[in-house]
Amino acid sequence: MDFRFTQDQQDLIDGAKEFFLGENTVERMRKIASGETVDNLWPQFAKLGFLGLMAPESAGGLEQPLVVMAGVAEAAGYAGLSEPYLEIAGISVPHADEDELSGQIRRAMRSDLRPYFDASLSDDGDAVNSIDPLRNLVKADRGNDDSLDNINHHGAVLTAAQLVGLAHRMVDMSVDYAKDRHQFGKPIGSFQAIKHQLANVLTQIEFTRPMVHLAAIQGGRAVHTAKVAAIDTAMLAAETAIQVHGGMGYTFEVDLHLFMKRAWALCGEWGDRNYHMKKLEETVLHGQEPLGAGTTFS
Amino acid sequence: MDIAFTQAHHDFRAEIREWLERHVPKDRLPSLDTAEGFKLHRQWEGVLAKDKWGNVNWPEEYGGRGLDLTHWLIFEEEYYRADAPLRVSQNGIFLLAPTIMEYGTPEQKARFLPPMASGEEIWAQAWSEPGAGSDMAAIRTKAVRDGDHYVINGQKTWSSRAVFADWCFALVRTEEGSERHKGLSKILLPLDSPGLTRRPIAQLDGETGFAELFFDDVRVPAENLLGPEHGGWGVAMATAGFERGLLLRSPARFQEAAARLVRLYRDNKDRLSSGVGEQVLQAWMNAERFCAATYQLIARVQAGASVNSEASANKIFWSEMDRHLHRTAMTIMGAKAELESGLDAIDNGRWLDGYMFSLAGPIYAGTNEIQRNILAERVLGLPRK
Ligand SMILES: Cc1cc2nc3c(=O)[nH]c(=O)nc-3n(C[C@H](O)[C@H](O)[C@H](O)COP(=O)(O)OP(=O)(O)OC[C@H]3O[C@@H](n4cnc5c(N)ncnc54)[C@H](O)[C@@H]3O)c2cc1C
Repeated sequence: MDFRFTQDQQDLIDGAKEFFLGENTVERMRKIASGETVDNLWPQFAKLGFLGLMAPESAGGLEQPLVVMAGVAEAAGYAGLSEPYLEIAGISVPHADEDELSGQIRRAMRSDLRPYFDASLSDDGDAVNSIDPLRNLVKADRGNDDSLDNINHHGAVLTAAQLVGLAHRMVDMSVDYAKDRHQFGKPIGSFQAIKHQLANVLTQIEFTRPMVHLAAIQGGRAVHTAKVAAIDTAMLAAETAIQVHGGMGYTFEVDLHLFMKRAWALCGEWGDRNYHMKKLEETVLHGQEPLGAGTTFS
Repeated sequence: MDIAFTQAHHDFRAEIREWLERHVPKDRLPSLDTAEGFKLHRQWEGVLAKDKWGNVNWPEEYGGRGLDLTHWLIFEEEYYRADAPLRVSQNGIFLLAPTIMEYGTPEQKARFLPPMASGEEIWAQAWSEPGAGSDMAAIRTKAVRDGDHYVINGQKTWSSRAVFADWCFALVRTEEGSERHKGLSKILLPLDSPGLTRRPIAQLDGETGFAELFFDDVRVPAENLLGPEHGGWGVAMATAGFERGLLLRSPARFQEAAARLVRLYRDNKDRLSSGVGEQVLQAWMNAERFCAATYQLIARVQAGASVNSEASANKIFWSEMDRHLHRTAMTIMGAKAELESGLDAIDNGRWLDGYMFSLAGPIYAGTNEIQRNILAERVLGLPRK
């Protein structure tokens, strides 16, 4: 029992964060949003080993567990990564059998900057518009196949992790703004009304992140709890962040909205709040599963 | 990341579970804020200590088992699962003991830890004053050095269980003319010292859970100074870290309460409005999140990290979770929520007691507003002024 990332795992996650933040700057995000062409990151993902993070060593991958990918997903959320990297490396790759694996990666590399996403992982279908200017969605049949629960589990965990990263980013942006912006002759960050709202978000983040890690390792009902907690945390972060930014937060010009809209979008992905709460109603409120002390870590 | 319990963990769990089945009193003890309840809870501490179950993470020489904090979490899980009595010695074992282990002299460790472990000496915390609540640096109670003694004058208040307890750990001003955080010291003294008057204060539930303490030339041997003279603020902050951060409230307590809440919900489901189930699940999820976060925190502490300002997030989370959980129970009980005890009272009034006590959580151990200030200023780096 040592519920921490090992040093190697942490280094990997820190490296990913540095890479995502270095490449996916807000300038880049804005270019994509306005339809400009930007550098394709897929060759770098492949070169640095990020695509094969969860692939078996026999296929040249790093064979990392889902919880490490969750750490990387949090970093991707923090950086507002525009590519559907997690869908490919965190979901598609680990669920492809080995023969198909290199094909999967090739397919990933061929992908242009169209963060389409759908459970069927199919890239044909009609385009639909998201409020997130960096998300190009296509519509495809989704189906309700219970045999895909395992894939759904991966998706929900990685989405929850991104939401934690997004929430963290929105707090950091708000802190920077609150130190800088002066009213009544002082930084607005010196007002308790501002401090306490941001402290509330920070508290929620601290009590969501470990739940996401547990969900990644253990699956089951922990996944539903993690996703619901991440949704609530990210929505609180977004609403608090815009309040702290005042009128500036309501503009297209200030970067906050790029992260806020991503959060809105991810809340509904891989099972929305209703889906996960209903699962908990079945298992916790009305089910037979053991509850109480000593039942969280099985 | 590794979340598997070892065979030793499993064996330990089985052992404590079996012991508790044999020893936990069949009927719930009366409140530890009553004279009778206090006495019975003290006896229970002795029962725990006899088989070395009181403080499994303490070194063996002081009555512990020298086990790590993961074992302590498992102990707590089994303890609350068995619905064993509340720990009347909690201020001593969870707050003072870690401080003594960090700052105490070898003599102090040998003198104070074993009787604390056995329940022979029960401790109260004497920090707050009428004029120094949230603003603890405003402490005015003075201790003046006189030869090999300190002479204490002043007043403390809200001291939990001080009416019945034996010793207290006080934070007092030792340096003449000092101000604010400087010049304070932590001093240990018996509550029956000559010149010390205890005045019981009735709590919300009517029981005398805490006391005012009046110091009138109370003489304390200088060797009862804990940590550096005039450096008491730092010592006190270490204690506060334990109080807010980790030891005082382990997840098991809330997880058992959440499981009982689910049962209460099932028993009353048919008359409840549709939103109540969501609140019950929210309470349950909060307890799960608290558990996951605590295991992660313990892993960090065991690897050598110290718990600092992050303890504030912990304190906010558990206290607000507890209040929400109990308020949800009050909602479910409806017209019966007001019943204190007796056959008609659900669970003999336990939820009502729990609700009342949960209202104190956001106040004691530093109010949640103070914790939010700490998080904002020391973790997020927002400007003080
Ligand atoms: C059940 C219980 C047990 C206790 N046990 C002990 C004990 O054993 N030993 C002991 O020493 N003390 C004990 N206390 C005292 C406790 O630590 C204090 O009550 C607490 O620190 C708050 O101080 P206060 O009551 O003076 O409230 P105040 O400091 O007067 O606060 C009143 C309100 O003002 C707010 N406020 C104050 N300052 C600020 C600020 N800077 N920013 C924003 N809001 C602010 C507070 O958050 C609170 O909401 C206990 C209290 C309770 C309720």
